[in-house]
Amino acid sequence: MAMAALRREGRRFATHLLSPRPIAAIRSPSVSEEDVPLGVRNISTQVVRNRMKSVKNIQKITKAMKMVAASKLRAIQNKAENSRGLWQPFTALLGDSPSVVVKKNVVVTVSSDKGLCGGINSTSVKISKGLHKLNSGPDKESKYVILGEKAKAQLIRDSKKDIEIIITELQKNPLNYTQVSVLADDILKNVEFDALRIVFNKFHSVVSFLPTVSTVLSPEVVEREAESGGKLGDLDSYEIEGGETKGEILQNLAEFQFSCVMFNAVLENACSEQGARMSAMDSSSRNAGEMLDRLTLTYNRTRQASITTELTEIISGASALEG
Amino acid sequence: MASNGAVPFWRAAGMTYISYSNICANLVRNCLKEPFKSEALNREKVHFSISKWADGKPQKPTIRSDTPDA
Repeated sequence: MAMAALRREGRRFATHLLSPRPIAAIRSPSVSEEDVPLGVRNISTQVVRNRMKSVKNIQKITKAMKMVAASKLRAIQNKAENSRGLWQPFTALLGDSPSVVVKKNVVVTVSSDKGLCGGINSTSVKISKGLHKLNSGPDKESKYVILGEKAKAQLIRDSKKDIEIIITELQKNPLNYTQVSVLADDILKNVEFDALRIVFNKFHSVVSFLPTVSTVLSPEVVEREAESGGKLGDLDSYEIEGGETKGEILQNLAEFQFSCVMFNAVLENACSEQGARMSAMDSSSRNAGEMLDRLTLTYNRTRQASITTELTEIISGASALEG
Repeated sequence: MASNGAVPFWRAAGMTYISYSNICANLVRNCLKEPFKSEALNREKVHFSISKWADGKPQKPTIRSDTPDA
């Protein structure tokens, strides 16, 4: 009896040595080793089997998510690349001036509503926080406009007072220009700004996303900058048709520029989200596979060990009878 | 230019250039023939929820949507 108990202890010890990680991971309060009834000789492999099953299921899910992200990516990538043509003329005309110093700054953080897409939301939040810090001081202030649940969750924690507007549920329908322009309209009407800084992840390839800042200036600031020269000074060389004044033209342009840049930003970010999700799901299914391999090895080794022990016992019993 | 006189009017009505151009775009879409018309109109669906914040507290979110049930 004592021998049997000792052997049981020893074997249990051996399994721990063999597989330090999987066993530690599956040991939950409900399955303590002290539950093993007296006289049971083999360690149950049930727990490992259940664990293997669940890992296999997780792997299936992540694989499916990867496929979904890949197919969504293809559709949205096309859209995003086409939408780049919308803001490029504006940058050619008005230039991009991320370093402009103005009184009222608004940081528009674009993020996704859903998670499991790697670090893209954290990067855009980090950049937004940096911009916010850079642009707040005694004679200037900066506010947040947040798109998407994920940036909301991260920014609510420490910048509650600086949030102006939060917009979510953006991707319920496929993204389109009308939607984004209505949204841009809402932002324009509800926020006072001298410069809007839109932070988003620009889609570069499936594995690389560049955190990007686009700056949209208010018409007054554009005029001021134009007078002080620089690239914006070229604006005067354009001929303006019709009876509109330069101020009106600039206001229309600024508004339209904002909606176009927003459209591109939202699309690029959605594209990056799918790409990031694809690579995240790819690596997690690979990890699940590795884990499964390890678990299978442990499981088979334990099973083989118990078979070997039983055989040894039978043989030694038989030889004891003979001898 | 035809829009010469119209410019101050939509601006005076509190519209931005974005909403003005959206109305114009919708007008153009309505000029399409079927089946392109319904296709173009179905593509441009608006749905998002917007909530303003005041003094570090969220106010009730409003949902801007074309589909009434959502």
